[in-house]
Amino acid sequence: MTKRQLLGILVIAILLVTGVIARLLIGRDPAVGGVHFNWPDENIFLLRFGAVRSAIVGGACLGLSGLLLQALLRNPLASPFILGLSAGAGLGAMIAAWSASVVGTGSVAWISFIAHGADGVIPGTVGSLSVLVLVYALGRRGGRLDPLTLVLAGTVVATICGALTLLVQSLMPPSSRGDSWMWFMGQVPELPSSGAMWTAIALLFCAFIASFQSGAALDVSSTGDDEAESLGVSLRSLRILLFICAGALASASVALCGPIAFVGFVAPHLCRLLIGSRHRALVPASVIAGAAILVWADAVRQSIDVGAGRLPIGVLTALIGGPVFLMVMRSRRMRAGEWSC
Amino acid sequence: MLKIDSLSFHYGRRSALKEITASCDAGKVVALVGRNGSGKSTLLRAIAGLAHPSGGSVSWRGQRLAGLAPARRALEVAYVSQRPSLSIDLTVHEMIALGRFAAKTRLDSILRIDQAIGLMGLDALKERSFHELSAGEQQRCVIARALAQHETNGLLALDEPFSNLDPGETMRVVGALQQSAQAGALVVVAMHDLSLVDRVAENVWWLEQGQMIAAGAPIDVLTPTKLEEIFHCEFVRGAQGLTLAARV
Repeated sequence: MTKRQLLGILVIAILLVTGVIARLLIGRDPAVGGVHFNWPDENIFLLRFGAVRSAIVGGACLGLSGLLLQALLRNPLASPFILGLSAGAGLGAMIAAWSASVVGTGSVAWISFIAHGADGVIPGTVGSLSVLVLVYALGRRGGRLDPLTLVLAGTVVATICGALTLLVQSLMPPSSRGDSWMWFMGQVPELPSSGAMWTAIALLFCAFIASFQSGAALDVSSTGDDEAESLGVSLRSLRILLFICAGALASASVALCGPIAFVGFVAPHLCRLLIGSRHRALVPASVIAGAAILVWADAVRQSIDVGAGRLPIGVLTALIGGPVFLMVMRSRRMRAGEWSC
Repeated sequence: MLKIDSLSFHYGRRSALKEITASCDAGKVVALVGRNGSGKSTLLRAIAGLAHPSGGSVSWRGQRLAGLAPARRALEVAYVSQRPSLSIDLTVHEMIALGRFAAKTRLDSILRIDQAIGLMGLDALKERSFHELSAGEQQRCVIARALAQHETNGLLALDEPFSNLDPGETMRVVGALQQSAQAGALVVVAMHDLSLVDRVAENVWWLEQGQMIAAGAPIDVLTPTKLEEIFHCEFVRGAQGLTLAARV
């Protein structure tokens, strides 16, 4: 790695560490309201540390998933949220939870495994990959992937998945609807499900290794299909492997935190600004940046008091990510058509 | 030796190449000529092993290129497409270094990259962003990448490499391709500038509507009468080679 890349990764790591410290120090007293900056007692510390763990793992999954989608689709606007992968994962997990509540899967081991697999990660992955295949097919125009058509297709498919998720949710027993509402809005849980947490960590580890190893191939694949193949990259294998990684990471983050907007979009762009475009460096940087952004968003959320409880995390990430998305969409390179395949 | 045997290719129902048979030994430059849409690019992609034929085969030194894994094929064939593209931000040096992705040794790679940069006259531009270059400079950059990639006795397939170049840079690229051929490579170039064919190539393959209508030495194949019949333009062959006389 070059000096610039190492320095960039160090800056992002410092951002993460300061975010963790901020999140551990910032607290709110539910009885009297207001924001406190103090080192918490043990019980409160465990809650805040739980939120930090959720934000680090969920954000890291989103950051890497976003980077892989942007690289594989050669589209700077791609992210798991914008392309509908998060919504697809949410729908998959919700259908699995609903079918488990209707069928009563406890007695049949394989149905139970499919329905609850790793606290929703397995059905979520099926949902996110199905959406990816659909959006990929819809995003093609004249045999080529058009960046804006892809985003449009993703937005529409995400809206349909969101509506279907609400429909399935309304079919569920009233007792479990409250939890799923919170999850549907996006959250950083202070008491994360251990199944989802450990599955996400395992997936993140495997996807990180696969992506890091494929870093040079990702650089080559940015030259176009024919060129990449002629330079020695097996695009088919690369895409199958890394699309599965991107889908599974999106699903893991959704199972852990619900659908959270724009973290997977902003993290890779922030890293490119700091360290350039080489994927060997972007992979670790995007993992750390995704974690840092979500930890900081959660910390800032704690310190904003709008008089009606805490802000949903998705509000903050969308307020930051939305303008960045518009800036990239209006950028010179997008207008010049340099981002297309 | 490159051997093309009854090669056919279809885009859906449309036939792009029909029963093409040709062969050429290493150490030569072959020019692929023909009108727009005659099948030059498709034939070049098939030669590079990138387009899987619907019939027939292409073999290079006895191996079917389309059947090889990309990493293995990249050691045999380097390909330059008609429109260079890059979706990330790389410097000229980084872009050319991508040519050594499939290479086994790093030390040799550094030398090959520097040689290719020098051959294409890109020394002063090597730290510039690829996206900041003019179309002609980008073209030289991807040709340099192919030169860095291909082995001395390999196959170089280039699709209209002179399209954005000024006369000086065109002659620089012509020189580099001839140098590669003299070193033992086979160079196949799809091109439109017929006045250049005499200077570049020993052999011409002429395609028309997906069929090879003539093959041989430029002076035998590109006759003014035949050219006028196909292109509806008047050509003159003089001491300077083939030139376009006037539009009819």
